[in-house]
Amino acid sequence: MKTAEKTGVVLAEKKVDQKKMRAKVKRVLLFLSIIAIILLILIPIYLLFKISVSASQDILTQHPPFLIKNFTWKHWLKILSAGQIWNPLWKSVIVASMVALLGIIIAAPGAYVISRLPKKIKYGVLLAIFSTRMFPEVGIALPISVTFIKWGLLDTNLGLVLAHLIRVLPLMAWVLTGTFDTIPRDLEQSAVVDGCNKIQALVKVVLPLSLAGLAAGAILSWLESWNEFTYAIYLCLADTTLPIKTYYYISRGNWFESAAYAVFLTFPVMIITFVLQNYLKSDYLSGALKY
Amino acid sequence: MILPLILFILGFTLLPVLQCIFYSFQDRITEEFPTLANYRLIVGNPKFGDALKNTLIVTAIGLTLEMGGGLLIALLLTVSSKIKGLFRTITMIPMGVPTIVSGVIMLYIFSSNGYFNEFLYRIGVIKLPIDWAQGGIRTLLMVAVADMWKVTPLVVILLLSGLESIPANIYEASAMDGASPYQHFFFITLPLIKPFFTIALILRAIDAFRIFELPMVLAGRNTMFLGTYAYSEYFDYNNIHSSGAASTILLILIAIFVFSYVVTVGAKEVDE
Repeated sequence: MKTAEKTGVVLAEKKVDQKKMRAKVKRVLLFLSIIAIILLILIPIYLLFKISVSASQDILTQHPPFLIKNFTWKHWLKILSAGQIWNPLWKSVIVASMVALLGIIIAAPGAYVISRLPKKIKYGVLLAIFSTRMFPEVGIALPISVTFIKWGLLDTNLGLVLAHLIRVLPLMAWVLTGTFDTIPRDLEQSAVVDGCNKIQALVKVVLPLSLAGLAAGAILSWLESWNEFTYAIYLCLADTTLPIKTYYYISRGNWFESAAYAVFLTFPVMIITFVLQNYLKSDYLSGALKY
Repeated sequence: MILPLILFILGFTLLPVLQCIFYSFQDRITEEFPTLANYRLIVGNPKFGDALKNTLIVTAIGLTLEMGGGLLIALLLTVSSKIKGLFRTITMIPMGVPTIVSGVIMLYIFSSNGYFNEFLYRIGVIKLPIDWAQGGIRTLLMVAVADMWKVTPLVVILLLSGLESIPANIYEASAMDGASPYQHFFFITLPLIKPFFTIALILRAIDAFRIFELPMVLAGRNTMFLGTYAYSEYFDYNNIHSSGAASTILLILIAIFVFSYVVTVGAKEVDE
């Protein structure tokens, strides 16, 4: 009897031990796979930075080292002092800011109307607008560039802004409709009851409440325009944006210049994305991406 | 108030798309309409056949990698661990990298004296460097991997919001009934995130068909895709009609994919 009990206890302990072991193995595996994924994400970015600050003998060799051996700011300084970067940089900044501003001005009133539509029509309209992002950009850019040649808009900021708005507006409408959805209609109505007219209710009640969403939408649009490549390569000839300039150095096979340009191109985006991260999980997007 | 938005979309999106389709059916010299001459021209061009094939293959490989990887990362993110917050932040980083920059990075990694070859060399897999950009399946794999690195975070975000919408008590109830982790995954998690999976897949497929920047940077003129083919017809041969025809075929391809997917798999979910 006693021995049987004892073996029972021992067996149970063994089982518990096994379970613990398994849980431990699982946790280690989990941890290792997380580390592996983190490395796969970070190493490419590290390599870009590394190339932009490495002396050429570290890079233009059959067996490049993974660590930074001969550190130098040479390539960065060369680009900044050569002065080629300022015009594209300035153009990118201006175009992106105009896109964000015009995007808000055109999309916000539209999104407000859409969010106040009856539910059934609303999602139909939103889906119709958003599905325009499904069209191939090379197909849109082609007639646009033909038309812009006629209108003299090729190689101008305005032309590029208009083209970028094609991409940005559906996205804006989508995000901002979500923002306006979170503002209850009762609020406007009670403002009207309290003696505001409709415009005042909009400006004094709806606008302040939607500011955070508008800001998020503007930043997203700014980034879209900053990163945009396809329309820019169709519409820019001499006066290019930063991504096109980067592409120019890539196609010339110049590693260091393209690396340094790529780093400069990425900086603002990284910073903004980090700041924006909280928005990415908050209601502004999840509210818009309602399923 | 909605008028400016609607007018802009009509004038600057729908009209150009129609124009593009119009060009594709218009004769290059006589400007006669409609004609199939442009389609005959590009279908007879072996480069176009390659571009079509490459686009389809990269879409298939890319989607498999991205949806698989995205699901894996999203699942890892739901498991609580000490570095979860940090992990989440890091997984979102590639989203912030401009596509052209991710192309530059991958160019360094996959060039013949690049870091992937060096890695393979150091662990002893290869002796001589592999030329990843020489064409064929290697180049397609390279483009698909480059695309995956950049866009998987989007898939993760979409799938994660699906996973987080599953109430914990469903798992508790099924655990009470004795369900194994595998049963959890296949009978609860997967069915419940299906709508999110559908959305992510459709969004990704559209972008994958239209892939443009990465082939421009990585594959050069040797390995063409539908997007880069349309670009090259316009810029290298100054032919808006054949370029329009290639774009129209790309549009039809996307439309067929989206509609057949929505009809067969996700009609109910997308409606909601």
